[in-house]
Amino acid sequence: MIRFEHVSKVFVTPARGEVPALADVSLTCPPEELTCVLGPSGCGKTTLLRLAAGLDAPTSGRVLVDGRAVSGPPADFGLVSQEGDLLPWRRVLSNVAMGLEIRGVRRAERKRRARQALARLHLPPEIARSHPHELSGGMRQRVALARALCPNPRVLLMDEPFSQLDELTRSRLQAELLVLWLADRQTVLFVTHSVEEAVFLADRVLVMTFGRITRSIPVTLPRPRNRLSEPFVECLLDIRRALAPQAPADVAAASRQDAPRPGEHPIAFHRGDRP
Amino acid sequence: MNAGRIALRIALGAAVPVAVLGVWHVASAHSVVVPSIGSVVEVLAHPFREPANLDATSLAGGAAASVLRVACGFALAVVTALPIGLLMGRCRPVMDLLSPAITAAMVVSPVAWMPVAIIAFGLSSPATVLHGQEAWRYGVLDQLRFAIVAVVWFGAFIPIAINTAAGARNVRESYIEAARALGASRGQLLRKVILPGAAPAIVTGLRLGGGIAWRVIIVAEIFPGTRGGLGYTITTAHEQAAYEYAFASIVVICGIGLLLDGVLRLAEARVARWRPKER
Repeated sequence: MIRFEHVSKVFVTPARGEVPALADVSLTCPPEELTCVLGPSGCGKTTLLRLAAGLDAPTSGRVLVDGRAVSGPPADFGLVSQEGDLLPWRRVLSNVAMGLEIRGVRRAERKRRARQALARLHLPPEIARSHPHELSGGMRQRVALARALCPNPRVLLMDEPFSQLDELTRSRLQAELLVLWLADRQTVLFVTHSVEEAVFLADRVLVMTFGRITRSIPVTLPRPRNRLSEPFVECLLDIRRALAPQAPADVAAASRQDAPRPGEHPIAFHRGDRP
Repeated sequence: MNAGRIALRIALGAAVPVAVLGVWHVASAHSVVVPSIGSVVEVLAHPFREPANLDATSLAGGAAASVLRVACGFALAVVTALPIGLLMGRCRPVMDLLSPAITAAMVVSPVAWMPVAIIAFGLSSPATVLHGQEAWRYGVLDQLRFAIVAVVWFGAFIPIAINTAAGARNVRESYIEAARALGASRGQLLRKVILPGAAPAIVTGLRLGGGIAWRVIIVAEIFPGTRGGLGYTITTAHEQAAYEYAFASIVVICGIGLLLDGVLRLAEARVARWRPKER
């Protein structure tokens, strides 16, 4: 279980001084549940995930995993980022086996388990000897997922893992992730800016704007979820309204989400600003 | 590429060397100082012959002395520049400490330090430090004068350290974080992410450092106090007007230099194999 207790994070950048990224965030990811954090880019959701992964420390407040404060990346976490970040000089198999290699698992054993992980992600065995740059974007994300799953983590942290993929590949990978997760039941914290993705995957959607969790919406639709069914679309619209409370389903409101309004706390935070 | 274009490229590449040989041939026919092509080939054909008209070792002996010195200086440069470069690349204060000094040293030709090295080390060598060696071993060890090895070390150290530092610093942060998220310790990050990520830059540094070391040694051997080595052969041949030995030495220097560069280029290509082809 992951708990955030009144967590704030302020980045200090040379260009913009103090940039608040998270403001007093409290949340709980219940064990074996899939929690989605949904928000526009710059709302602080990547920061949230990095704090959970122990890659950054909060400015104030506490991040707890199973009741213990996080200091550095916990051992049984798996992380999948937007770009996958496979090590380009390693072949696919040794990328997937890297978590086991770091834990000191013997070579033969880790190769065996890495092959299993590739198979679970429906990757053909012959790509084991390829370098990442030889693969398509969708395959690379599958490999990244295999790498995260290979050491059997209890917690999966996913930072918009499918956002760089085309629509068809994305929905296929979402479905496959669900199948794998239903078998393993890790605690998942999944960050996304796609409302549809959140509704398709999540047990609970946390809506995030300007560094705050503004809504917590349980999604009770039975799985597998049909993206075209009426309850699905209803849920989707509900969440859209939560994202843009002033003018529901309004394109103008959606565009206003991106930039802080005049006089409002400029809490938006972009990748390039990170020190 | 078709055969015609390959032939054209070879012909173009050979044009300048052939022209140089032509000018040389004409010049030697009209001058008593310029050695004939034949006399230089004669020297090259007998690399182990001690020259009769020259106070120097055989061509092969000179080349061996130069190569030995470069090998020692270069090896020392690798074992010192790699850790220092990695520290500079990953640790800001170390970079701030060393970067100005290295930049300043970089613009001075390494050979200019030769007098400083001679003041520091004099004519000492492993042979003067280790007493009671047999004569032949003394001869070999005495070729490794500390002053000369130090200058070669210094010449190779700078590009290796600078490239290693740049390579280590430019390893993508997200690769490091991916490994951290998998639980990597600091040592594992260094071995499994930073070193392999910096490897292409490091090998480029080795290639530059090797080239500089080979250029530096020839000039350093011209300084008084040196015996043996191709640079020594060239100056002695100049002083004693045995120019065919100077010319032959240049050919050997060129050959060994090309060989060294070729080997390091191969290593460079091998290390960068995982990189996508630039388009």
